[in-house]
Amino acid sequence: MLSEKWLTERTFHHSNFWDIKWLVEEKHRQGLSISLCLPTLNEEKTIGQEIVILKAELMDHYPLLDEIAVVDSGSGDRTCGIAASFGADVYIASEHLQEHGSFPGKGENLWKALYLLKGDIIVYVDTDIKNIHPRFVYGLLGPLIQDPQVHYVKAFYDRPLAFSGGLRPTGGGRVTEILIRPLFSLFYPELAAILQPLSGEYAGRRSILEQIPYPVGYGVETAMLIDIYERLGLCAFAQTDLDRRIHRNQETIALGRMAFGVLRTFMKRLKRGDLVQFQNELPSLMRQYEVVEGKYRQVEYEIEEIERPPMIEVEQYRERFHPQEQPA
Amino acid sequence: MEVDVATSERVRHFPEALLPMRERLLANLVMIAQIPAPGGEEAQRVRFLLDRFSEAGLGDAAADEVGNAVGCLVGKEGSRNILLVSHLDTIFPASLDHNVTVEADRVIGPGVGDNALGAAIVSMMPDILEHLKIELDSNLVLLGSTRSLGRGNHAGVRFFLDHTLTNIDFGICVEGMQLGRLNYFSIGTARGDVTCDVRSEPSRSYGTESALVVLNHIINRILGIAIPNRPYTVIRMGTMRAGVAYDVEPDHAELGMEIVSHSDEMIDQIQRQIDDIVSEMSARHAVNAHVDMFFKTQAGGISFSHPLVKGVLETMHALGIEPDQGHSPSELSELIARGIPAVTLGISRGVKSRKKQPDYVLIDPILTGVAQLVGLILAIDEGACDAL
Repeated sequence: MLSEKWLTERTFHHSNFWDIKWLVEEKHRQGLSISLCLPTLNEEKTIGQEIVILKAELMDHYPLLDEIAVVDSGSGDRTCGIAASFGADVYIASEHLQEHGSFPGKGENLWKALYLLKGDIIVYVDTDIKNIHPRFVYGLLGPLIQDPQVHYVKAFYDRPLAFSGGLRPTGGGRVTEILIRPLFSLFYPELAAILQPLSGEYAGRRSILEQIPYPVGYGVETAMLIDIYERLGLCAFAQTDLDRRIHRNQETIALGRMAFGVLRTFMKRLKRGDLVQFQNELPSLMRQYEVVEGKYRQVEYEIEEIERPPMIEVEQYRERFHPQEQPA
Repeated sequence: MEVDVATSERVRHFPEALLPMRERLLANLVMIAQIPAPGGEEAQRVRFLLDRFSEAGLGDAAADEVGNAVGCLVGKEGSRNILLVSHLDTIFPASLDHNVTVEADRVIGPGVGDNALGAAIVSMMPDILEHLKIELDSNLVLLGSTRSLGRGNHAGVRFFLDHTLTNIDFGICVEGMQLGRLNYFSIGTARGDVTCDVRSEPSRSYGTESALVVLNHIINRILGIAIPNRPYTVIRMGTMRAGVAYDVEPDHAELGMEIVSHSDEMIDQIQRQIDDIVSEMSARHAVNAHVDMFFKTQAGGISFSHPLVKGVLETMHALGIEPDQGHSPSELSELIARGIPAVTLGISRGVKSRKKQPDYVLIDPILTGVAQLVGLILAIDEGACDAL
C-alpha cells in the first residue's frame, strides 16, 4: 500500500467513531473482548480521572471495554490505591512472571499486560493525560472494530504543552520531528506517514502484539511500529486524530535520553535487517553535561534498552492463551 | 399531606442502590468541570447536557433562544411539571486550566462544586431514575441554565420561565454544595460595581489623582450608612481592583459589592443612599464615579409549613442529612418571584472560592445527595408536596 493512499484511507478522526453503541454491537457480533492497559509510575494526579471517565463511559455506560487494568512499575505515591478505589484491576509488574525477572520501564508493563490482561484487543493509554476523554479509547478501537485488516492503531494529536498560566496552541513531538521521522524517511519511508510514532496511546490485536519483542524502555513505541511493519506491512496500520492531549512537558535534557534509547532500539533493528553494519557493539552510555557552581560536569546514564522476547515464546503465556497448542 | 412512609423508607436504600452509578456520576462531573464556561460562553456545556438528554431518549431536548439546555422526561400522566435546574456558568475565565484531579475521596478543580456537580446530576437524572426503576407520573423538565452568575443576572432561567409553554408546578434548584442545604426563601439581593475614574488632566481643577483613594472615601461613607437590625440587612463588599504598580497612582478603581436584605424596600433605600454618596464624592473629588447595580433578586419564598419544605425535611431525615436552612441567591428567587414553590438543594460537601485552596467536592456524600433529590422528586410526584 502506498503511504499516500494509506494516509488518505487509514487516517481517521475520533469523531468517525462517535457511535459507541455501534462499536459495542459490532464488538459483540465479532465475538471480541477488549482490555485497556494503563501503565503507571507515580501518576496519582491523573490516574483517578482516567479510570473514572473511561470506566464510567466505556464499561458501565457502553460495555466497550471488558477490563481496565493498571500495570504499575512500583509507584511510591497513591497511584495504586486510587486506581483500585475506582474499580480498576491493579497489577504490580514485578510481581508477575517473576521467573522472567523484572526490569524498570514502561515497556515492561506493556509486555506483562499481554500476559495479565485477557482481551483479544489491547488498548494502551498513558496515564499522564490531564484532559482524558473516552475518545482516547474509542478513537483507537474504531478502526480495529471496523476493519479486520487493521491490526494496530496509533494516536496522533494537536499536542499543546502544558505550562503555567495557560496552554500553547501547538507544540510537542520534538523527538519525532528531529529524530524519528528523519530516520523513518531514511530506512522505513512508509512509516514516516505515521504522524506521531511516539504517542503513548495505541491499540493492537493480541495476535500481532504477542509476536513482537518489547523493549522495556524508551524504544517500545518505535520497536512496535517497525516490528509490526516488517511482519504485516503498512496496510496493518491505522491512525486516529484524538484532538488535543494535555500532558506534562519534558525538559529537553530528558528528551535527549529518550532519543538515545529510541536510537539504540532503532539501530538494533537496522542491524537485524542488514540495513547497516557496525564494527563494534554500540555503547549503552549516554553522556550529558551540566554546570554546577560554575564548573562543567559530565553525567553518564546507562540506557541499555533491554528487550523482552515475543510473549508467544513465554511458556506460561502459551499455557494461558494457547493451551490447545501445548505439547501433550 | 405527609410524605408516604413507604417512599421515605424506599429513599433510605437509594444511596446503596446508586452505587453502581458512582463512576458515571463522577465521570460526568469531571467532563463538565473540564469545559470552561464563563457567563455567556456555556455552549459546550449545553451541548454536553443535550447529548446526555438525547442518549437518555429525551427526544425533544434542545437549546432555547438564549442557549439554555432544555429537556423533558415525559411522565406517564403528565399530572405535574417539576423543574430541575442547575446553572452551567462559572466564575472562572476560559484561560484558566480547567483540568480536574480525582483523588480517592474528592474531585478537585475549578468550579467542581459550583456548579459542575449540579449540572452533572441534572444531565444524568433520566439515567438515575431508570437505574432506580422509577417511572414518574409527572413530567420532569430538565434545565441547564446559562448566564446565571454576576452580570448574567439569571438571564437564562428568567428567559425560560417567561417563555416556557409548560406550567411549572414545582422547582428544584440543584447546587453542587453543600449537602443539607435547604433554601426555600430568597433574600433580596442587589449586586453591583462602584467604579471610579480619574478625570483627564485639563479638567482636574482640584482633588486627588488616585482613584483608589477616592474609592476609599466612598467605602468609608458607605460603611457609615445606618443598617437596621430588623429587617435583616447587610452591605457586603466582596472585591476591589485598582492599580498596576507600586509607584503609579491608579486612574481607575472598582469595588464589587452587594446589599442583601429581607426587605426589598430596604435594599432600594440603601441603593439610593449609595447613589447619593457616589454622586457627591464624584463631584467633591473631581472624578467620574458611578454605581452600576446589575443584579437584583427579590425577597420572598414559601413558608416553613409548605408541604414542599416538609417533603425535603422528611427526605433528609430518612437519609440522615442534617438540614441547613437559609436563604439563597440562586435561581430560586426567579421561581419564587413567579409564584412557583421551589427549593434549592446541595449534593455534596466541599469548598469553593478560597484563595489558598483549590475548589473540591467530596465523593462520598454525592450518592446521598442524589438520593435526596430523587426522594424529593418522588414525594412531589406522589402529591405529597401539593399545597393544602
